[in-house]
Amino acid sequence: MAQLLEQFINGLVLGGIYALIAVGYTMVYGIIQLINFAHGEIFMFGAYLALMLITVFNIPFWVALPASMLLCAMLGMLIDLVAYRPLRDAPRLSALITAIGISLVLQNLARMIWSARPQQFPTETLPAFFVSEVNMQTGEILNAIPLPGGGILPYRDVFILALAVVLMIALNRLIHLTKIGKAMRACAQNRVASNLMGIKTNQVIAITFAIGSALGAVAGIMVGLSENITPTMGYYKGVAAFAAAVLGGIGNITGAMLGGIIIGLAEVLGAGYISGGYRLAIAYIIMIAVIVIRPSGLLGKSTATRA
Amino acid sequence: MRNWLTGLLIIGLVSIFGCEQQKELKVAVAAPYTGGAAAFGEMIRRGAELKQKEINEAGGINGMKLTLLFEDDAGKGSEASLVAERIASNPQIVAVVGHFNSSCSLAGQEIYDRAGIVELSPGSTAVNVCEGSPWTFRNLYRDDFQGKFIAQYIDNVLTDLESVAVFFDNDDYGRGLRNAFVAEAERIGLNLVASEAYERDSTNFKAQLTSIKAKNPDAIFISGLFQEAGLIVKQGREAGITAQFFGADGVDSPDFLTIAESAAEGVYLTTPFTFGAAGAEAKQMAANFEAFHGVAPDTWAALTYDAVGMIAEALEKTYNPEATIADNRTAIREHLASLDTPEEGYEGVTGLTYFDINGDTVDKPAYVKIVKDGQFVAAEKQLSELK
Repeated sequence: MAQLLEQFINGLVLGGIYALIAVGYTMVYGIIQLINFAHGEIFMFGAYLALMLITVFNIPFWVALPASMLLCAMLGMLIDLVAYRPLRDAPRLSALITAIGISLVLQNLARMIWSARPQQFPTETLPAFFVSEVNMQTGEILNAIPLPGGGILPYRDVFILALAVVLMIALNRLIHLTKIGKAMRACAQNRVASNLMGIKTNQVIAITFAIGSALGAVAGIMVGLSENITPTMGYYKGVAAFAAAVLGGIGNITGAMLGGIIIGLAEVLGAGYISGGYRLAIAYIIMIAVIVIRPSGLLGKSTATRA
Repeated sequence: MRNWLTGLLIIGLVSIFGCEQQKELKVAVAAPYTGGAAAFGEMIRRGAELKQKEINEAGGINGMKLTLLFEDDAGKGSEASLVAERIASNPQIVAVVGHFNSSCSLAGQEIYDRAGIVELSPGSTAVNVCEGSPWTFRNLYRDDFQGKFIAQYIDNVLTDLESVAVFFDNDDYGRGLRNAFVAEAERIGLNLVASEAYERDSTNFKAQLTSIKAKNPDAIFISGLFQEAGLIVKQGREAGITAQFFGADGVDSPDFLTIAESAAEGVYLTTPFTFGAAGAEAKQMAANFEAFHGVAPDTWAALTYDAVGMIAEALEKTYNPEATIADNRTAIREHLASLDTPEEGYEGVTGLTYFDINGDTVDKPAYVKIVKDGQFVAAEKQLSELK
């Protein structure tokens, strides 16, 4: 029982990260019906840019985090500007192929700049409460909350989960309460009509890319806190987050959040109780099962899409 | 003017033909130079380059220059098949040193077998790598030996550890080593409390570590490679696991230390070779290596150095410039296969290598290393004989 609680929290933390990435896929899809395969690479750039700001420019973590978000937002807008905007009225397949191309370019660019060797944030540059390590003599664990039954919850995981929740709520408010949010919803409903109504659609799309990319960057940095930073990290996490977006109903932001949590939980509980050798496979099987029953995803509208 | 030009032309032509007559011998060195196991590949390349330099500076092989072709299999079986096809169909390559990952050696085995070219691995330890093909050899121990060794080391030397868990990479190497370890643990009565798997290239191990932690083992044996092992040790300590971590030769890379950072401290691992317990010849090789490459050699550099040396020795004794490539490739195999007793064996820096009927190395020992102050050092107590 104690183990289940700890596994459940592990799953929520991973799910929170997937949700942050998944909203980036789903927002872009909602507005221009493009599966932005380069999104996983923006996630990876978020981690690398923060790492570079910290190690090369000696910028403290709390400044590097928003700075990396800002840089990734600009990168997202740049990609939209050079790669997707010229293809706005081209067949959708052209934009999709371009997205895959951009993804490969970014991945290899990262390999050239930072090499393929796995890197990590140096422990001494991180906020002290992020570092939880067990005391080998006493068995005491620094910077973690003890759970009933012997489990532990590191402060860092609490922070990741809280940050994900705060950002999700902020995004939800932005979409529903602000003018730009209204414009985004309008564009998602009908881009041509929005344009006719005087909404600068290209600007709205650029902002959508910026928001999605900034959230992706946060996820990249959070993953980098406990895992390796590599040029291929965006691929593995990106595929899982894409599955989360599809599971939740692609185009639906709440669905992407929900999908992220479900995939995260499925992956962790599957690895913990079934077999760790097939953790992603288990998550995908759940996704496929849901898609078979509800082809438009959990919260997706079952209207025919313009194919 | 014209005569001068003609003279130059003649000199040019003569030197071109002259070059062609001074033959070179090409040996492929196949290893993971990119991908997750690239740190291994780098050391393999450096070890091979050092041997090549020494051979060529000493006048080559019967006056012929040794040329190495480095072929990248990225540590993946699928890539290794393509590389193997390319090597086997190149009529200038006389033998292969490689591959490193067991799954790559196995993928290449069938292709090299069909083409009739020797595959001498300096790193594959999965049990079945050499079985089934007379063309496959290796110059280090097998995982059935290594797994047995680790179980006995925990049982006999680290006596206060009573219960163990296994955390294994779900591929040829990880599964094979786990099976050997588990079989021996059961035989000698070591209490096995958990066996969990992970996928290659995973970076998040919290779920499995939480399951293992719930069983409260005294020791955790990681049957996998350094990149994942580094993160496992790190995330394990973060999750509050105080158990003794134990790794095998797949963890034996300096990159393990940089990934695991302070969590690497006190981790034990087995290795087919360690400079700390080696003779004067190995120390000399280490000094030369450092002078040539600027870094200290590791286990895989030393084993590759010896593997290239064995192939060079075979070429020296058997190569016939008049014979066909197939005959020369066969002659190398015959020579290696004839090294079947300690007297006939090849004396390299990693010890004496001789083969059994399968091409497996016989009686090469395992050593135990421990991480101390951020460095690998030979463990105080070694285990010289298995029971």
